[in-house]
Amino acid sequence: MPTLRTEAVSKEFGGVQALKGVTISLPAGSTLGLIGPNGSGKTTLLNIIAGLEKPTSGAVMLGETRIDHLPANAIVKLGVAKTHQIPRPFAEMTTRENVSVAVMYGRRRIKDTKRSLNEADRLLSLLGMDARRDLPASSLTVQEKKRLELARALATGADVILLDEVFAGLSSDELRDSIQLFRKIRGEVGFSALIVEHVMGAVLTLAERVVVLEEGAKIAEGTPDEVVHNEAVIRAYLGFEENDSPG
Amino acid sequence: MRIAGLGVTFFGLLALMLLLLILPFAFPFSTSVIVINLLFYTALAYSINFITGMTGYVSFGHVVFLGIGAYALGASADVYGLDPVLGVLLGAALGLVFALMIGLVTLRFRGVYFAISTVVIALAALNIVLELPQLGGSQGIILNLGFQPYSWYYTIWGIVLFEMLITYYINRGKLGLGIRAIKSDEDAARSVGVNVSALKLYLFGLSGLFAGAGGAVFAWTTSGVFPYETFSLNFSLQMLAMIIIGGVGTALGPILGAVVVYLPSYYFLTVAIGTQLIIIGFAVVVIALFIPEGIVGTLKRRSASLRELLE
Amino acid sequence: MVALAVILSDLLFGIMLGCVFAVVAHGLNLIWGVVKVVNIAHGEFIMLGAYGAYFLNVFGGFNPLLSAVVDGALGIFVGYAFYFSFLHRELRGKERITQRSEMVTLVSTFGLSLFMSNLAVVAFTGDFVGINWSPGTVALGFLELPLGALYVTILAVLIISTSVVFLDRTYIGNAIKAYSQDITATQLVGANPTKVASLATALGFSITMAGGALLTVWIPTGINPYMGALYAPISFVIVVLGGPGKMLGSLLGGLTLGVVIDVLQAFVPVSLAYAVAFLLLIPVLLFRPEGIVK
Repeated sequence: MPTLRTEAVSKEFGGVQALKGVTISLPAGSTLGLIGPNGSGKTTLLNIIAGLEKPTSGAVMLGETRIDHLPANAIVKLGVAKTHQIPRPFAEMTTRENVSVAVMYGRRRIKDTKRSLNEADRLLSLLGMDARRDLPASSLTVQEKKRLELARALATGADVILLDEVFAGLSSDELRDSIQLFRKIRGEVGFSALIVEHVMGAVLTLAERVVVLEEGAKIAEGTPDEVVHNEAVIRAYLGFEENDSPG
Repeated sequence: MRIAGLGVTFFGLLALMLLLLILPFAFPFSTSVIVINLLFYTALAYSINFITGMTGYVSFGHVVFLGIGAYALGASADVYGLDPVLGVLLGAALGLVFALMIGLVTLRFRGVYFAISTVVIALAALNIVLELPQLGGSQGIILNLGFQPYSWYYTIWGIVLFEMLITYYINRGKLGLGIRAIKSDEDAARSVGVNVSALKLYLFGLSGLFAGAGGAVFAWTTSGVFPYETFSLNFSLQMLAMIIIGGVGTALGPILGAVVVYLPSYYFLTVAIGTQLIIIGFAVVVIALFIPEGIVGTLKRRSASLRELLE
Repeated sequence: MVALAVILSDLLFGIMLGCVFAVVAHGLNLIWGVVKVVNIAHGEFIMLGAYGAYFLNVFGGFNPLLSAVVDGALGIFVGYAFYFSFLHRELRGKERITQRSEMVTLVSTFGLSLFMSNLAVVAFTGDFVGINWSPGTVALGFLELPLGALYVTILAVLIISTSVVFLDRTYIGNAIKAYSQDITATQLVGANPTKVASLATALGFSITMAGGALLTVWIPTGINPYMGALYAPISFVIVVLGGPGKMLGSLLGGLTLGVVIDVLQAFVPVSLAYAVAFLLLIPVLLFRPEGIVK
């Protein structure tokens, strides 16, 4: 399992500097949290890593391979998968079929239908979604759709999973369950995770290290404890805490 | 689980093709001629099914490949005396090549923009051909290929058979799933590893290939190629109408659509083709607004058992 | 000196042609920009406007300018009818037009196009007709400009500028602009989304049909049931060139197209000039999908 690194990645959109030379490192098997106020560039960084955007400068490395110029589907084949912040299931297909597509077209390039369906079932079981298997994905609740996003990302056989605000909009019970579920899956499957979140509880619990962005630049990095007590971070959030809507 | 197996419909269609194989020997001549036309429209319907039916990319200008195929046969027969069957192969090859070239550029555009660029290309092609004396300019090319109904029949029969088999092949297993994913949400498909660009291009190439082959046969049967007729948007419109009415993406849809759209015209023989087009246009409007999945699609949706049957 | 005169004359003609193309495309631009829907049958409504002018001329002696006004009024009703039959079901209550709705509209309007053009063949016969209206010429230095075309140009520019002012300065216009940016926001300014969208559509059709009437001055023998097949793609190219939703873009796109066609015609046969003009769409879509001007 290789290390994912971004090296001084910058991104400019029509005059706006969304990212200013951001360097982060995700060692194999670890979980890195990425937090920051709205507009700090977290989603942009995630999109660049996943190949949905190209950096204006800098590079994204997966092990020794440079991936920032590759199309999104090629990056998936190399083992990096991203969930969507607002779930995008294949609406007319069943939950099972949704995961099957990822199994077949992901890294493992499985061609056999039966095998892929079995694998899809296995993953859905892991995520506690057996009962929803044969339902059209459009009929799932928002929560279930988020789980489907994770299931699909896992199904691609990815070593590195990029999670875009998967813990948003949950009640405290649901949040506790989701954190537990994530821990269990991480333990069973084994992958590196880059978690972008506004929900501090999730990030600080699950991540071993945390990176903080503000206005496109990295302002702090360290263990959750270190980051929480960091002055620059507190300042960035004080201005943001008042106005931020709950995730 | 809707990954298609080979069900009743498949064998039914095969049986139909077998019947059609011996039809010219069992039925009077006039029937064969009707079937040739029906098969021609079926071939066109299958061809546009590959791109529009399967991916949802509406190719309004699809007639351009028909034109390319027609001119391929026309020019090669006229200038080099090429055997028409080879002309058909040439038409298919050129249809494929142009589809790949055009698709490389236009398939990057989303929905509406793709549709418009196909129209623009078809019109540009017409205008260019009008100015090429090597292709007969505005007069077209008149061929002297004679009346060869058996050759026509079996050529178009073969084309349709290929299309049918390939449609079944594509709809199964991994390819079928990937295509449905693209149709559902292209970006999400990309995010799970589907090589969307390659698949779209592949399908577009197929559609161009078969439209080219069909166009060549058209030139053969009418023994001539005339620009306004061959590049007429009415053809595109008919192609789209057939799959919309019959049901997009399916293997049964195109032939059903062709039958529904084409056969009644035989009863309207005394009435100008314009009236048929009025009715087709109206039907397309109604179906698009109220029954977007066409006949086959709606039936599939209504009943699970029918769904299995109609795969 | 003669060469200069020819070039200037060509240029001027290109500009005037561009202006009539612009007004013909403007209705499409408005609807595309506001309701985010592309009407494939756009060409057929231009044709309707042209035939309207023709019959008003034959039976009422109306000149195309007057017919444009009548057609414009008729267009309002046609637009409302179109909105409620084709668009309302897809747009009602939605925050944003879905991909599916886009496809439904694309296909249904294409069926409409087929329906209308072939119905026109039956109703009007396939003969090419035209309006005979020659108010004479005016001398501009060493140039002779046909007055008919000049009046059309003025009217075209007037229509487009009025729409720009309307959208900018009036309450309803602002509501329409709001709708084009954010449907929910329309309600925040106290307007009903359906009323706004249907009005925008009605205005779009009104301009389209008026444009069809004005177009007749340029095609004294060219009115026919299938003319939509030529002017629809021209309109699409213009809207893409100028940027969908950018009102002045119609003028920009139209002028570009008009000048390009007119200039090219001096060097290559007419058909090729049109072919090139059409193909302009592709590079613009590839490199500047928002239109050639930012």
